[in-house]
Amino acid sequence: MKIKQLIEKIEGEAELEFDFQNGLVNDVNIIFPLYRGIEDILRDREARDALVIAPRVCGICNHAHLIAGVRAIEDGLKKAGININLTSKAISLREFTLSCEIIQSHIKWIYLVALPQLSILNRIKPLDSYLAKASWSSNTVVKAMSIFSGQWPHNSYAIPGGVSCDPTYEEIIHAETLLDETIRFMEQEFLGINIEAYMKNQELSESKGDIATIWNLINKQNIQSKGKSHNRFIAFGEHEIFKAGEYSQNRTNEIDTSLVKEHEQPNSKAKSVTYNSLCYEVGPLARAMLAKNNRIMSLYNIHKDSNLIRIYARIDEMINLLLYAKKLLANLHPKELSCTLSKFPKGFSTKGIGAVEAARGSLIHETVIRDGKIENYTIITPTQWNLSPGTSKESGIAIEAMKGSSSAEEASFVFRIFDICSACTTH
Amino acid sequence: MSKSSKPKLLWLQSITCNGNTQSFFTLPDFIVLMNKFEIIYHPILNSGYTLADVTNKDLKCDILILEGSFKQDGMKKAGQEILATAQKYAKKAKHIITAGSCATFGGIFRQYDKNSISGFCFNDDMINENYNLFRKKLISIPGCPAHPRWIGSVLSMILTHRAIPLDDLHRPLEIYGYNAHSGCPRSEYFEWKIDSKNYGYKEGCLFYEYGCQAPYTHANCNKILWNEVSSKTRAGTPCFGCTEPSFPKKDLWHTPSLMGIPASMPVGIPRRAYLTLAGIAKSFSIKRLNEPIIKYKK
Repeated sequence: MKIKQLIEKIEGEAELEFDFQNGLVNDVNIIFPLYRGIEDILRDREARDALVIAPRVCGICNHAHLIAGVRAIEDGLKKAGININLTSKAISLREFTLSCEIIQSHIKWIYLVALPQLSILNRIKPLDSYLAKASWSSNTVVKAMSIFSGQWPHNSYAIPGGVSCDPTYEEIIHAETLLDETIRFMEQEFLGINIEAYMKNQELSESKGDIATIWNLINKQNIQSKGKSHNRFIAFGEHEIFKAGEYSQNRTNEIDTSLVKEHEQPNSKAKSVTYNSLCYEVGPLARAMLAKNNRIMSLYNIHKDSNLIRIYARIDEMINLLLYAKKLLANLHPKELSCTLSKFPKGFSTKGIGAVEAARGSLIHETVIRDGKIENYTIITPTQWNLSPGTSKESGIAIEAMKGSSSAEEASFVFRIFDICSACTTH
Repeated sequence: MSKSSKPKLLWLQSITCNGNTQSFFTLPDFIVLMNKFEIIYHPILNSGYTLADVTNKDLKCDILILEGSFKQDGMKKAGQEILATAQKYAKKAKHIITAGSCATFGGIFRQYDKNSISGFCFNDDMINENYNLFRKKLISIPGCPAHPRWIGSVLSMILTHRAIPLDDLHRPLEIYGYNAHSGCPRSEYFEWKIDSKNYGYKEGCLFYEYGCQAPYTHANCNKILWNEVSSKTRAGTPCFGCTEPSFPKKDLWHTPSLMGIPASMPVGIPRRAYLTLAGIAKSFSIKRLNEPIIKYKK
């Protein structure tokens, strides 16, 4: 039996075609109907135009596209013999604003996707407060980042050699205050315990926070240990808090970007992507595995790559990033230079790759520059990894996870656990 | 107030990055404002109808908000051409708001295929067939993305039956009558023609070398600020002119010049007037403006 379902409000839409056998999902076809042509739009433009155009791939992870874009140009400059040493101020600011974007995205997933969708699965009316909480807390984080980036969405403050802003201590303190307010929100409303207790692995069983509601609603549906996929994880972005690498068969290995391959798909405008001809999961769970996060790994050893652990990894990452963001600001020194490249070179030819960790996983930009202009630009987004249709030997990550679901509604929720971004998938 | 007495709001997306949806969600009073409407469809909010309902049924709609650029054909949502769905509701709506530069002029996504992709009523600054059908109820809110307050304020003005004076591209003058340069903290450097040393400094103007289009970009970003705290130029980034039909221009990090003077003049300023004042300003060296504002001890 086949059932078609249009999944809406995922930064656009996707069409899922479920194949049921004996009452369970046996296979899924994922179709994204639109192509927007950002890579083509970038061709023949000056190399740095990518810093303005590429963020427009996505309204919710635009900043990750900026950072990937600037890293690609800097990698290209390095290969052309122009070495760039970023100051610790520029590095910290980029890490800070990227962290804020990931945090706001995770907040929106929790309060605009997880809690409402889980309520609906349980035939409960979603609380009005979810929307209010999403709005207040995500905007507080976004405000903190905008002090440095100028605005969100769609800023271009990361430039070859550093950042364009030159903040004062007074502005840094403003951002710290906004982070403190977000942390207080997380303690009072979301975790139900204080953040230090959470970091010390205090039991959440007594919590009356929204995290407890998430666990209750998942347990009632009995889907916590469903959603298993290939137990293969990958991350490409190098950051202080994230580690690049590949995890498979219980081992962590170094990555080689030449093993990444994009594949056209006959029925969908989204290209799929493999590493060494295999499907890999990207995102918060992959990052937690590669960074050897104890809280997640101990749960992973019991539950494997299931719905519960995938959700928990995202929540845990959000909390970790809030603390990391505070640390970055505490060590920020305005007297350092913001940008160390005094003049952007003209007419150079090179090729550069930039990888970052975005909210949904690894994002890779590759720029080929000839005579200062973009000859070719390639973007590989996180959702392309997770929503790949698979290879001739295996199903893609999300498809494998949806197999065995007992209804289209349940499978759609498993799909949404990957925090789908339709916009990014079909850039 | 009963549900049915609220104006019916329909937010439709075409070829978009969702940036205007995300931007509008950062409005501090987003929820209070949205509660004043019956939401027929919205990309984030729960709505009474699905996208398939919107495309296949004939729902009531008072205010239509469009996001994203439009393709002549081959851009279907829930089985229907999105352009046809937009036109269907544009006929019914009392007000049509094009949110963002894509829906207004074509924007970034028009660059992929200028023959078939455009704004809803404009192809860049040229009107198209939709304009003649819908111009009486059209309000343009360009920007990449549109500032959340621009959308929020226009919706509130509609609710409270206030007059909304528009320019010839249907942009509200209370917002777009200013230029992005108004309120820029670097304006003193602009007045005395002092260039920034590079990107990454508090001091100096970005208009002469670094690509800033703020003096000829219609927007009040530096008056009302982004996310309540900042703006591109406050963060040392040039304004890229994202509210204009010409967005995105090419070579965005460089100011085109004629004989060493920026090629484009501030809005409404004759070149001769600009040159006269610039000549006088440049003949003085103002010590304070050539020094750092703050000197941190080592």
